Amino acid sequence: MGNAIAKNAEFVQRQVLATARIQEKYCEGRELTVDAVAEPILWARSVTDAFELVQRLRADDVLKLDYLTDITAYDNVDGKDGPKRFVVIYQIFSTTTHVRLRIKLGVDLQEEPMSWTSLWDGANWLEREVFDMFGIKFKGHPNLRRILMDERFTGHPLRKEYPLKQREQFPDNVPLHLGAHPVPSNT
Amino acid sequence: MSKDGSAMIFPSLMSEAIKWARKNSLWPMPYGTSCCGIELMSTLSSTYDLSRFGAEVVRFSPRQADMLIVAGTITTKMAPVLRSIYDQILEPKWVIAMGACSSSGGIFDTYSVLQGIDEIIPVDVYVPGCPPIPEGLIHSILHLQKVIDKSLERRPAVRPSPEDALNAMTYSQCTHAALVKSAYIVTKDGVAQNVSEDDSKKP
Repeated sequence: MGNAIAKNAEFVQRQVLATARIQEKYCEGRELTVDAVAEPILWARSVTDAFELVQRLRADDVLKLDYLTDITAYDNVDGKDGPKRFVVIYQIFSTTTHVRLRIKLGVDLQEEPMSWTSLWDGANWLEREVFDMFGIKFKGHPNLRRILMDERFTGHPLRKEYPLKQREQFPDNVPLHLGAHPVPSNT
Repeated sequence: MSKDGSAMIFPSLMSEAIKWARKNSLWPMPYGTSCCGIELMSTLSSTYDLSRFGAEVVRFSPRQADMLIVAGTITTKMAPVLRSIYDQILEPKWVIAMGACSSSGGIFDTYSVLQGIDEIIPVDVYVPGCPPIPEGLIHSILHLQKVIDKSLERRPAVRPSPEDALNAMTYSQCTHAALVKSAYIVTKDGVAQNVSEDDSKKP
């Protein structure tokens, strides 16, 4: 138990140091908050700003943020987090300094944030998932197709206006390689 | 065969012999898509030992299997795949819907999940549970043996078609609605009788 607290204190100290560095070098008027587990959350100013910011953060010699943990998004339809419709969340991590950083980016319906596939190959499928669920298009993505839903699906199910139980009907249903209808054995 | 070459098989007993052979050699084709698949593996392994009931030879080719065990959530994207596997199994074939998801969609009442595999293929035995315990699956196989032994009519009058699998995305308009409305009972002669009430007769 004591060990766990000591470990946690070490983690918090690390995060606090990282937050101080981010505030000093990368804030530049961007909103910086800290969540309940001392993790810094940096709000990018615009869709182009996020990519420039992460390029600089990635090159930082002290933080050494070299690992993209996750890309996800949420629907900000109630406007709690700014005027933009969606908020894309980038979670990055350092495998050497063990520091975590979250970058948040507000995206409107017509806006196209830059793809991060040039920085991390792992961004490929993560961005495809965000596109599938929310319909956010990433500029410069090499293969922006649906990854979870059927390719004939047209909606984006994690948008708040999408009805939870609505399945989609496909007008262009072509028979797949299904066998012939089997003859009943008892006739 | 007797020594002079004449047949000694009694035709009236042949059907009994076929039934006996079929019910004691149910080769399963596993279709495990989630946690029910783990229970299915447990049932097949040494602790529960499904080979006691002649159903241990798991075939990963549908052409060699008799019984399709659908263990897990079937998404609408997976529905045509499941249907094509069902179509490849040779007659006679039986289907066990193992667990809440494959029986009714389970907790996943959403845009992407099939609300029961009976929307696309006929089902013989439903096993409740999330996931069912291995004893539950063994019970369902014993029940299936009884069904085969009694030659009960297993097929509902309205069979889901391959088109149902293709159109499984349609939540409300599939022909499955007709299947749900019809209710069949089996009489002593093994004949299925429609006991479903006509909607027009209701007051």
